[in-house]
Amino acid sequence: MKNVITLFSFILFITSCDVVEGPYLIDNGGITPVDTSSNTYVKKVLIEDFTGHTCPNCPAAARELEAIHDVYGNQIIGMALHVSGFAEPWTGAGKYEYDFRTEWGTEWDEFFDISNAGLPRGMVNRTGYPNEHRLGKNEWLSAVITELEKEIDFGISITCDVNGNEGTITVNTELINDIVGDYNLVVCLTESHIIDWQKDGQTDNEFYEHNHVLRTVLSDESLSSSSSYTSGDIIAEPIAINLTTLEQYNIDYSANTAINGSVNAGGWNDENMSVIAYIYDNTTQEIVQVEEVYLNE
Amino acid sequence: MKKIFSTIAAIAIFATLSTAQNRTLPSVDVKTLEGSNININTIENDGNPIVISFWATWCKPCKKELNNIAEVYEDWQDETNVKLIAISIDNARSMAKVAPYVNASDWDYEVYIDPNGDLKRAMGVSTVPHTFLLNSKKEIVWQHKGYVDGDEDELLEQIEKLAK
Amino acid sequence: MKKIAILFTALSFSILGFSQENNGEFHGDFDLSMQSYQEDKLIGAEPADEIILNNAYLNINYTKGNFSAGMRYESYLNALLDFDDDYKGNGIPFRYATYTIDGLEVTVGNYYEQIGSGLIFRSYENKGLGVDNAMDGIRLKYSPAKGVYLKSFIGKNRTYFTYADGIIRGADAEIDLNTALNFESKTKIIIGQGFVSRFQADNNPKFNLPQNVAAYASRLNVINGRWSYSGEYAIKLNDPIGSLTAEGNNYANGNALMSSLSYSKRGFGIIAEMHRVDHMQFRSERAQEKQYIINYIPTLTKQHTYSLLALYPCATQSEGEFGTQIDVFYKIKKGSLLGGKYGTKISFNFSSIRSLQKGIKYDVNGNEVTEISSSFKNDYNDFTPKFFSKNGELFFNDINLEVYKKINKKVKATGVLAKQSYNKDVLEGKTNYGIVNSTIAIADISYKVKKGHTVRVELQELLADGGDGSWSMGLIEYTVSPHWFFAVQDMYNWGNHDIEKQLHYVNINCGFLSGSNRFAIGYGKKRAGIFCVGGVCKEVPSSNGFSLTISSSF
Repeated sequence: MKNVITLFSFILFITSCDVVEGPYLIDNGGITPVDTSSNTYVKKVLIEDFTGHTCPNCPAAARELEAIHDVYGNQIIGMALHVSGFAEPWTGAGKYEYDFRTEWGTEWDEFFDISNAGLPRGMVNRTGYPNEHRLGKNEWLSAVITELEKEIDFGISITCDVNGNEGTITVNTELINDIVGDYNLVVCLTESHIIDWQKDGQTDNEFYEHNHVLRTVLSDESLSSSSSYTSGDIIAEPIAINLTTLEQYNIDYSANTAINGSVNAGGWNDENMSVIAYIYDNTTQEIVQVEEVYLNE
Repeated sequence: MKKIFSTIAAIAIFATLSTAQNRTLPSVDVKTLEGSNININTIENDGNPIVISFWATWCKPCKKELNNIAEVYEDWQDETNVKLIAISIDNARSMAKVAPYVNASDWDYEVYIDPNGDLKRAMGVSTVPHTFLLNSKKEIVWQHKGYVDGDEDELLEQIEKLAK
Repeated sequence: MKKIAILFTALSFSILGFSQENNGEFHGDFDLSMQSYQEDKLIGAEPADEIILNNAYLNINYTKGNFSAGMRYESYLNALLDFDDDYKGNGIPFRYATYTIDGLEVTVGNYYEQIGSGLIFRSYENKGLGVDNAMDGIRLKYSPAKGVYLKSFIGKNRTYFTYADGIIRGADAEIDLNTALNFESKTKIIIGQGFVSRFQADNNPKFNLPQNVAAYASRLNVINGRWSYSGEYAIKLNDPIGSLTAEGNNYANGNALMSSLSYSKRGFGIIAEMHRVDHMQFRSERAQEKQYIINYIPTLTKQHTYSLLALYPCATQSEGEFGTQIDVFYKIKKGSLLGGKYGTKISFNFSSIRSLQKGIKYDVNGNEVTEISSSFKNDYNDFTPKFFSKNGELFFNDINLEVYKKINKKVKATGVLAKQSYNKDVLEGKTNYGIVNSTIAIADISYKVKKGHTVRVELQELLADGGDGSWSMGLIEYTVSPHWFFAVQDMYNWGNHDIEKQLHYVNINCGFLSGSNRFAIGYGKKRAGIFCVGGVCKEVPSSNGFSLTISSSF
């Protein structure tokens, strides 16, 4: 009898293998992204990619984020936060001298304890907090698939009235259902197409394109003083901005000797900037809705 | 703190209760230097005392202990008929070095290898060296963690108590 | 969880009462490590918010006849800084029951297991290094005939306090030919064949992923008198990580070969080993994260115990490396000229680890993406490095000689000379450090003051240009058999290129041992270091504070 049991399990197990033959790319290359052009709100997912310009494995994570965006379209919003020793600028080396770090990136890194576990690492809508929110780049896809199936309670729309250096950004949050909870609204600016050094595997790439780099956080406050919301409510949040002031803030942060900054944190290009607004649940830290628009739309 | 205190209390209770009966060897397979499997339960010494010592080729105090005892092992055997069994916890990284090291050191012990720590865990060993003394009924009557020069004298005292 | 513990305790007390006559017995062990982390700006030590961090675990096992069961309670409140901080909280992550009937051993619950040398599968624990990838499921072991050993298992693999996604199945057969086929011979042959596969659903919308990934390993041991050979060859079938990028998914088969030959006789032993690893990391999930690794490719270098020899440790690059190692053990006979009155022991070791042949990865348009040094296959690439490449990039080199001599009844001395080369960029995943070359000399002398009292002095010197520069280390240890030990140690980074970092790391340790209990307390500074196990390295930050360890078996 024991013979039979073990031999049977042998045969059973040994036959359990798959060999996949090429072509490996599925013929119609993926799924059809959800139509986001109409006025109805859809679930969107924020992927926060914690990275650094001397982190050799980080570009692979940025490429993964782009690939997820290619498959799922505008429902995926990315943000790159440069943190830790891997983002520290070098002095006098002729490379890696830019300081991509921000005060908020460093704070969130400490709060969510991301870079301690090594980079690249990220969060998808900050799900899994407090123990399972740190996800490696290959764990993002499963988290995205789960997130996209969730229902939404909020819809965000952003309008920008910015000419050159100054202007106003208005974030409108519309309630889709009646809900009760403690929510915060965060509004940030990111910049893409920044060409500067990045370590990519064994290569020092002088002309790497950095995308979705967090530049500043305009607002991180309670969504509303009350904790109960009714379907159809619209909460408007207008924010006045001055890009020069915001840029100077980062330069001053980089000048702080305690962080070994290089003061080289300016040179923002407003034509490549975007506004990202997201709402998170203050008790679970989970991001329930997010939206992104170009600054100069 | 409370949790630590209660765990310490629990161990104290267990420790006192379990000294009421003597532990025997677990039924776990180890490998001989030639690669065959053998159950540690089957080792025998005709009712004479047995010493089981856990060691590794990378553990300096372990090698010191076994080399120091090797110098007086023949005398010990003449006096008490004790048999020393050395169990190496070297894993696949250093397993190939065990037999050549043992031969080069000129040891007369029975040496076995526990490559995945099965016997080590079954006997509650967390750090090496860890030495056990078994009586004529193969019950564990004494154990000692660590090794400093001179510890072999205490071991001999314990063996002599059994041999009487 | 707490209820289960209390229930178990109550149950065990009642069983204890009955078991006195029936030979049921309890045994286990307890381990506690506590450390305080104070700020020390000089060495860059950060204070811990909790001030003290603590790891503890308690194993309790019950055995009666052919039945045994047990559990382990682990507590991380919070985990020491050398552990991953995903170890949080308390729980009973390990519990099992085993029963043997007529030679068939059945284990349900948690278990550890290894197939061959672990090239395709090794589930093990090493609390000191923060590794524990226990399985949770069912395992069967059976020996149908003398010399034939079969085992099979199925389960999920542990990751911190939870289990990874993949379902792991495995089986192994080992035959001791001499015993099984019943022939007497001076030559002893043992063969083995193992198999493991992982199931994980394919949720990738862009690429076809295999859901059952299999790995096979065959091994052979031949012993003939003084000669001994052991070899194992493993192959892993397509195991793409499930990326959405074409460059991220590697469908190539991985393989690993380990081979060692040794000759030994009384007073002399020599071992020559080699291994070649190519894309052979096997995980309990597709995602390429270190906590999912379920195989073990041993590092082919000497495991050093002297701190300056282990300052720059090598770690196996499971994506691709070629390593060789030679060890010689020799005991110069007592009474001879060089041997002296008591004989002299010599250990020589040489190891060299290099990369495999390099190739290029191309994208869909035929443009170069990056340089690769292991097998790679996807829709527009199919590269296999050749077996051996003379021009492989150097990862690690180590040549060392250790001489031990008992000078007289009171004095014993060990001397070590070593030269190492360490590729900091590859081995630590960093940039622009290059290769650190170091020359190391060590003297370790122990003096017997009187019966039971020994004092030991260790002096170590490491000369290097790269990395942190040169180091010196001094240690004095006083031991009183059988109970006490006391040690003071200083590591001094006098050669650091940055004058502000030329620091002393002083440490005091003392402890008490009695029977199966060990207590140790320490105070001092520890330098930032790297712990590597099975090819995975963890950086441990520098720290300053008290430490307390208690361990006990019962």
